[in-house]
Amino acid sequence: MVVAVLVCFLALFARLVQLQIFQSEQHRATARENIVYQNTLATTRGVIRDAMGRVLAANRPSYNVYGVPAKIDLEKVWPRAVELMRLGEQEARDLRARIVAIRANSTRLATQQILLVADVDRDVLGVLETNADEIPGIEVVPSPVRYYPYGTLGAHTIGHMREIDGEMLTRVSSRGYKPGDRLGGTGVERRWESYLKGQRGWRKTLRGVRKGKNLDELEARYLEDPRSLEPVPGRDISLTVDIELVKAMEQAIRGQLAGAAVVVDVRTGRILAALSKPGFDPNVLSGGAGKTEVRDAFRRLYSDPLNPMLDKTISATYPPGSTYKPFSALAALAEGTITPSDEVDCRGGVEYGRRYFRCTGVHRRVNLHEAMVQSCNSYFYQLGQGINIDRLAQIGMDFGFGVRTGIGVNPEARGRMPTRSWYTHHYKGQFLGGWTLLAAIGQGATTVTVLQLALSYAALANGGTLYQPQLVRSIETSDGTVVQEFPPRVRRVVELDQTDLSLVKQGMKGVIMEKEGTGYKYRIDGIDMAGKTGTAQVDRATGRGVDQQKVWYFNRDHAWFAGYAPADSPEIAIVVLVEHGGGGGKNAVPVAMKVVQTWNELKQKRLVQKAKPGGGSRSRVQ
Amino acid sequence: MRNKELSFRSGPLVDMPLLVAIVAIATCGLVNLYSATSPYIGSGTHGRIADIYVSQIYWIVVGVLLGVITTVIDYRAFERWATVLYLGGIFSLGLVWVLGTDIRGASRWIQLGSFTFQPSEFMKIVIVLMIARYIHNDPQTEPRTLIDLAPPVAFGLVPAAAVMAQPDLGTAMIFVMTTLSVVGMTKIRGRSMLNVAVAAVIGMVLFWNYRGSLLHGYQLRRLESFVNPDADKTGAAWHALQAQTAIGNGGLTGEGFMQGTQNQFGRLPDQYSDFPFAVYAEDWGLLGSLVLLALYGFVCIWAVHIASQARDRFGAALAIGVGAIFFWHTLFNLGMAIGLFPVVGITLPLFSYGGSSVVTTLISLGFLMNVSMRR
Repeated sequence: MVVAVLVCFLALFARLVQLQIFQSEQHRATARENIVYQNTLATTRGVIRDAMGRVLAANRPSYNVYGVPAKIDLEKVWPRAVELMRLGEQEARDLRARIVAIRANSTRLATQQILLVADVDRDVLGVLETNADEIPGIEVVPSPVRYYPYGTLGAHTIGHMREIDGEMLTRVSSRGYKPGDRLGGTGVERRWESYLKGQRGWRKTLRGVRKGKNLDELEARYLEDPRSLEPVPGRDISLTVDIELVKAMEQAIRGQLAGAAVVVDVRTGRILAALSKPGFDPNVLSGGAGKTEVRDAFRRLYSDPLNPMLDKTISATYPPGSTYKPFSALAALAEGTITPSDEVDCRGGVEYGRRYFRCTGVHRRVNLHEAMVQSCNSYFYQLGQGINIDRLAQIGMDFGFGVRTGIGVNPEARGRMPTRSWYTHHYKGQFLGGWTLLAAIGQGATTVTVLQLALSYAALANGGTLYQPQLVRSIETSDGTVVQEFPPRVRRVVELDQTDLSLVKQGMKGVIMEKEGTGYKYRIDGIDMAGKTGTAQVDRATGRGVDQQKVWYFNRDHAWFAGYAPADSPEIAIVVLVEHGGGGGKNAVPVAMKVVQTWNELKQKRLVQKAKPGGGSRSRVQ
Repeated sequence: MRNKELSFRSGPLVDMPLLVAIVAIATCGLVNLYSATSPYIGSGTHGRIADIYVSQIYWIVVGVLLGVITTVIDYRAFERWATVLYLGGIFSLGLVWVLGTDIRGASRWIQLGSFTFQPSEFMKIVIVLMIARYIHNDPQTEPRTLIDLAPPVAFGLVPAAAVMAQPDLGTAMIFVMTTLSVVGMTKIRGRSMLNVAVAAVIGMVLFWNYRGSLLHGYQLRRLESFVNPDADKTGAAWHALQAQTAIGNGGLTGEGFMQGTQNQFGRLPDQYSDFPFAVYAEDWGLLGSLVLLALYGFVCIWAVHIASQARDRFGAALAIGVGAIFFWHTLFNLGMAIGLFPVVGITLPLFSYGGSSVVTTLISLGFLMNVSMRR
C-alpha cells in the first residue's frame, strides 16, 4: 500500500518536473502573453492635393456604434437603444436575432464587440452620447473615413478606397493589413497606397489589472522595452492636376453622355486635367455611407452600359480617326512620297481595289495644307497608296502609340498601331492595300488612348519631345516637408524635319483659324489654337450622310478633337473625345474650346496673383 | 523516534510527526489562500473575496476544536455510534434533496441559519466508520469472496449513488475510492480480485460508450476536453490549461509570494477552491511543490504506518480510511491541476477554501491521531 502511494506521488512529481522544468519556457511565454496586450494605434492616411494645394482626398471622422452581445439587456435596454439609434423595424429585428444567436453559440464571442450601425449621422451621435448611461453595453467608436470634397470630379484619377475582403487579405496581410481595413481601389489611391497608408503603431498594455493596483509599477515590471511604437502618418501627395480645370472640363462636356478629356502641359508632360465621363462618387464607394451603399453602388456602376468605372483616358482605346492625319502627313513628308504642293482632286472619295473609300465631302483640288484644314480623306487615301503601312505604324510608335505611356495609375491600355505583319497574322496571311488607306486616316485597326493622343500632340507642339506622363508632382510628409519631387521625364525625342513639322503645324492652326477649318466655327477670340478634329467611324454601316441622331447610340461615330494652345508658343495640349458624339467639329471642338478658355482665364488670374506681393504664396506647391 | 516515544510512554501521547505535518500543510494552505485572493485586495465590489482567508481561519479553529474532541474521545466509542451516524448521514443526504441550496446547478448544501453545510463532506468519515465497524465485527480469517465483501461495499456505494445524483461526481468518486481502499485492505481471494479487474475493464468500456447518458453536460465536456484538450481551448479545457500554464510559469523557484502573474492578473479561474495548487506552484516553483508533495505523501504513508500499528481491526480500518480520504483528495486535485486527470470539483485538503472541507479534514485527521495515540 505504501508502495502504491509512493508511486502515485512520484507520478505527480514527474509531471511537475515536466511542467516546471522542461516545459517551463513555453508556459512562461504563454503566461506573459496572457497578460500583455498589444494595442494597435491608428494612423492617418495621407492627403491628396491638386497642383494648387487644394485637398482632393482627406479623412473625415465617422462614428460606428458597437455593442457587446453579453452586456446588452434585451428586455430593458435594447428597445431604448433601437429608439436612440433610430433603427428601422426590420433592421432592429435582424440585429436582435444576431445578438441572440451570438449569445447562444458562444459565451466568449458574446463578450466581444460587434458592429451595430456604421457611420451614424450627427444627430444620432449626439443623442447616443448624451444618453450613454441608459444603454450599457453599447458604445460609439470613431473611425476615420476617406472623404473626397470634389465628389465625382477627377474620381478616376484620384481613385477610391475599398474594404479588404477575405480573398484579398491573404495577399496583403503580410503588409500589415487587417480585416476591415480599407486600401486604395483605383487611381492614385491604389498606385500610391504604400505612401498614403502610413504605418500603424502599437502600445503594450497589461490586461486584467485589478482596481487599486499601481499600474505604472506593474507596467515597469512586466512590459519589455520597447513598450510602444508611435504611428507614422501616411505621406501626402501633390498631383499635377488642377481641379478647377477638371471642373471646367466637366462643365464643358455636360451635354454629352460619355467621353473623356485630357489636358497635358506641353513642356513637361504633366497632366493638368483628366476627365472620364460618366464618373462615380468615390465618397460612396469608399464606405462612408455603409456597406450596403457600397454594394449597391458597385452593382449600379458595373451594370451601366456607359462604363462609369472605366477610366476612358487611360484604360480604353478608340480609333483616332482624322486626329491621326498629322502623323500620316509627317511620315509621308519624311519618306518624300508627297510634297507640300502636290494636289489631289477630291471628288468625294477614292476607288481602290474593289472598294470605294469615301471622303467627308467633295473638296476639289487640295494640297497638304488644305487637306489638313478641311480634313480631306481623299488626300490621305492618296497618301496611303504611296506609303508602306509599316512606316505609318513606325511614326505612330515614335510618338508613343501602341505602347503604354507608363503613367502607372489605373490599368493602361496599349492601343494598336497595325503593321503588315499584324494584318497578316490576323487575316490568315492576306494583306489588302486598302488597309494602308484606312491606317492613313486613323481608321481600320488603329486604336489609341486619349492620353496617348494628348502626349503625342504635346510632342508635335514642342517640336518632337515625347514626355513621360506625370500625375504626381511631389510627396510630402504630413507636416509639409517635401520628401520627393518628380521632375519631368523625357521618353524620347522624335527625329523630325522641322520644316515638315512646321508645315503640319500650319495645317493644324488652319483647322481652327482658317475659314474652311473644321473647327473654325467654335474658335475663341483672343486664343490662338491649333489642332485637328476627328470623326471616328465605329460601325461600317454608318456611312456619310446618315443622320447620326437616328443611328443606334452605340453605332454613332466618336467625336474627337486634339490640339494645343497657344498655336505659336504652345503650353498645353488638349484632347477631347465624345463617345458616340457624332462629328468631331461639331461636338468635340466646343468642349475643348471652353476648357482652353477656362485654362486661359485661370492663367491670367494666377499671373495677376503672382504679381501682387504675397499673392499666390498660399498655394503650397509652386 | 518511535522507540523513544515508546520508552517514555505513560499515557496517550501526541503523534508529533503527524501533528507537525498537519500544521505545516495548514499553514502553507492559509498563506497560499491569502496569495490566491490577493488580486482582489482593495478592488471594490470583489474586495470581500480578499478577506476569505479570515473565515478560513475561523473554520480552521472550529476544525481544530472538533478534531481535538475526536482525538480525545477513544476511537472505539465511535464503533458503537457508527450505525447511528451512518443512518443520520444517509438521512441528511436525502434532506439535501428537500432543502438543498442550488449553487452552480448542483444542490449539495444545506442551509442552517446563516451557515451552509455540505453533508456529503462529513459523510466520508461516516462511511469509513461504518465499514471499519463491519470489518471489525467480521472475524473471518480466510480470504474473502466478493459476496463476503458485498455489505461493506454497499455501505460506500449507497451514499455514492445519492451524491452522484446531486450531482457531485467528485465526491461520489471519493466515496467509492475510499470504500475500495478500506475493503482492499482485507484479505481477498485471488479469483475474486481477477473478477473485479475484468469487471472494471468492462465497466470502463461501457461507461465510455454510454457516457452521454450517464453524465451531465458539463461533466461530459470536461471529460472530453481532458481526452482531447486541443479541440476546445476556450471551453471546458480552459480552466485546466490556465492552471497548467500557471504551474509551468512557476518554473524551478517560482515567481515569488503573491507574484504569480497568472493569478495576479485574473487568469486563473477557481483559484481558491479547485486550483489553489496552481497558485502555490506558480508562487513557489518546483521546489515549493516538492515540499508540499512530501508533506502530503508523508501524511498518507504515515496513515498506513499508523494502521499497521493499530491496536484492533477497527483502528486499522479507520486509519486506512482516513488516509484514503486524504490520499484520494490530494491525488485527484493535484492530478487535475497538473493535467493528469479531468477536471472534477475535488478539494485539496487544507488548501481549498471551504468550511465543510476544512472541518471534515481536521476531524478525520483527529481520528487518525486518535488511532495513533491509542495503539
